Amino acid sequence: MRPGAARAAMRGAALMVAAGLLLAVWVVPVALTLLTSFKNEKEVLAYPPSVVFEPTIKAYGAVLTGPTNIVPNLMSSLIVAIGTTLLTIVIAVPAAYAFARLRLPGKKPVGFYVLATQLVPPIGLIIPYFLILNRVGWMDSYRGLILIYLTFSLPFAIWLLVSYFEDIPREMEEAALLDRASRWQAFWHVVLPQARGAIAVTVTFVFLNAWNEFLFAVVLGGATVKPVTVAMYNYINTEQTQWAQLSAAALVAMLPVIVLGILAQKHIVSGLSAGAVKGVSRR
Amino acid sequence: MSKKGAVRLAGVGKSFGQTTVLRDVELEIRPGEFFSLLGPSGSGKTTTLRIIAGLEIATEGAVHLDGVDATLLPPGDRDCAMVFQSYALYPHMTVFDNIAFPLKMIRTPPAAIDAAVREAAARVRIDHLLARRPGQLSGGQQQRCALARAIVRKPALFLLDEPLSNLDAKLRVETRVELRRLQRALDVTTVYVTHDQEEAMSMSDRLAIFMDGRIVQIGTPEEVYQKPATVDVAAFLGNPPMNVLPARLAAGEVVIGEARVAAPHLAALGTRDVMLGIRPSEIEIGAGGVAATVTLCELLGDDVIIDLDVGGLLVRAKASGRTRVAEGERVHARFDPDRLHLFDRTSGARIAA
Repeated sequence: MRPGAARAAMRGAALMVAAGLLLAVWVVPVALTLLTSFKNEKEVLAYPPSVVFEPTIKAYGAVLTGPTNIVPNLMSSLIVAIGTTLLTIVIAVPAAYAFARLRLPGKKPVGFYVLATQLVPPIGLIIPYFLILNRVGWMDSYRGLILIYLTFSLPFAIWLLVSYFEDIPREMEEAALLDRASRWQAFWHVVLPQARGAIAVTVTFVFLNAWNEFLFAVVLGGATVKPVTVAMYNYINTEQTQWAQLSAAALVAMLPVIVLGILAQKHIVSGLSAGAVKGVSRR
Repeated sequence: MSKKGAVRLAGVGKSFGQTTVLRDVELEIRPGEFFSLLGPSGSGKTTTLRIIAGLEIATEGAVHLDGVDATLLPPGDRDCAMVFQSYALYPHMTVFDNIAFPLKMIRTPPAAIDAAVREAAARVRIDHLLARRPGQLSGGQQQRCALARAIVRKPALFLLDEPLSNLDAKLRVETRVELRRLQRALDVTTVYVTHDQEEAMSMSDRLAIFMDGRIVQIGTPEEVYQKPATVDVAAFLGNPPMNVLPARLAAGEVVIGEARVAAPHLAALGTRDVMLGIRPSEIEIGAGGVAATVTLCELLGDDVIIDLDVGGLLVRAKASGRTRVAEGERVHARFDPDRLHLFDRTSGARIAA
């Protein structure tokens, strides 16, 4: 083996170890949750925690079909997350494109403002948002919570997409314009397909944030709008914490996000490699 | 000659905020002509092309296309096709879809699109690559794909922005010939932007030379080469470029430092300070003339470029590759008196002999 190859192999091994450690940090809690979700009440509280035990799916039964099941809450979460994601994309894509391309007066200060909203700690906004929603009568409503989520997701999505749009050479659109495309057609046929990866990334982030959100949901939601993050709290009460049900609910709540991640992965990767097209200059 | 594709720029200028990049451009391009915009980078030639295309709007003056005022017309309404320096191919589409794009935009029926795309691709010999994506093509193939996309809808005007600059030297020379042949075959008015004087000289019917945002000369390649309008044009054209030396006219002689060249036909111009221009190929080594020292020899195969020290001034001569001179050798260099170019010392304008 040549010394260069040996060094490359060492490097590869070191990278694998580092990646393995990082993976373990993520996997261990999930694995523990998975184990806990299959335990009965006695096993859950056993100390030291048992690794070998008789698995039961009682907790899943309770979570999916029992009197305190989270199915309506999953629906609630889906409505909020999908609503937020769709509106964000529909608004942020044209907005980001405008920021990236058009010579608009006041573009810079507005751009800064968009980013500055990300610097405000969300908890400081709870009371103003509560008062606003209360005044317009949108408390405990989907439109209310989605509107609040949009105030966070839109600036983030616009900021993320602008850099992608800026990377698409202007000349491609100019070529389309000369080829008799309208501005809209140039955007639709030439720009948008190349931004697919960026949009997949944005969808994933926005959906994930809306799906995971707890703070605003617990304060601004209620009996009608009760996402799964809030509903899971039912399994923690003053008498006891129902660890098995809590674990099962957590895993069920993770599923949509995992599915989305797998779906988006292909586009994210193709979006990243699109930048490597040979001979196409990227300004 | 085709009837379409006449371009007239009348007093066109362009400023970006406080910066003026183009001023007083007067230009008339005839239908069917291969017209080059030649100049160093930053001289305004690409801006001029973009104004013709409608990608930039002139801040002054007017653009006329086929007699119609097109100054404010959007790019799509100008019936011109453009090949960009970067080719600007659509990376997510196949070669077929790239070439078909202009036709799809004008709602051509699919059968007609198919035929037109195949014809255009065959013309530039990429008809076997239609299913590939631009990323899977070589630089030369990408360039052909961009050409095919431009010719497929038979535009009135063909705009090329340094289309050969991303190709390697050998391919560039080949493509040059092919491009010229294609233009002849299609008989389409072509505006060609380049900073490469050899390209412009070899391909153009006529060319305009840009310097610092202005046109300094318009003419056939022969005209601008034989009679450069300014000392800058003289120094820009030719390889190696023309020698430009401070000199003095006195009583039918040109005085360059210590050296004197008899030029009785210039006696009428009297006594004055000038800039003297002489092309390297018009200097003959070893047949009498001014004394010089050889400082460097560069053999290029057929030719040899000889750097001479003439009274402290650097003068380059181009001679046959068989010329044998050694560095440091004292030689005599004869300046052909009929081939001297004279320019005003202050304005740089050509002085007619």
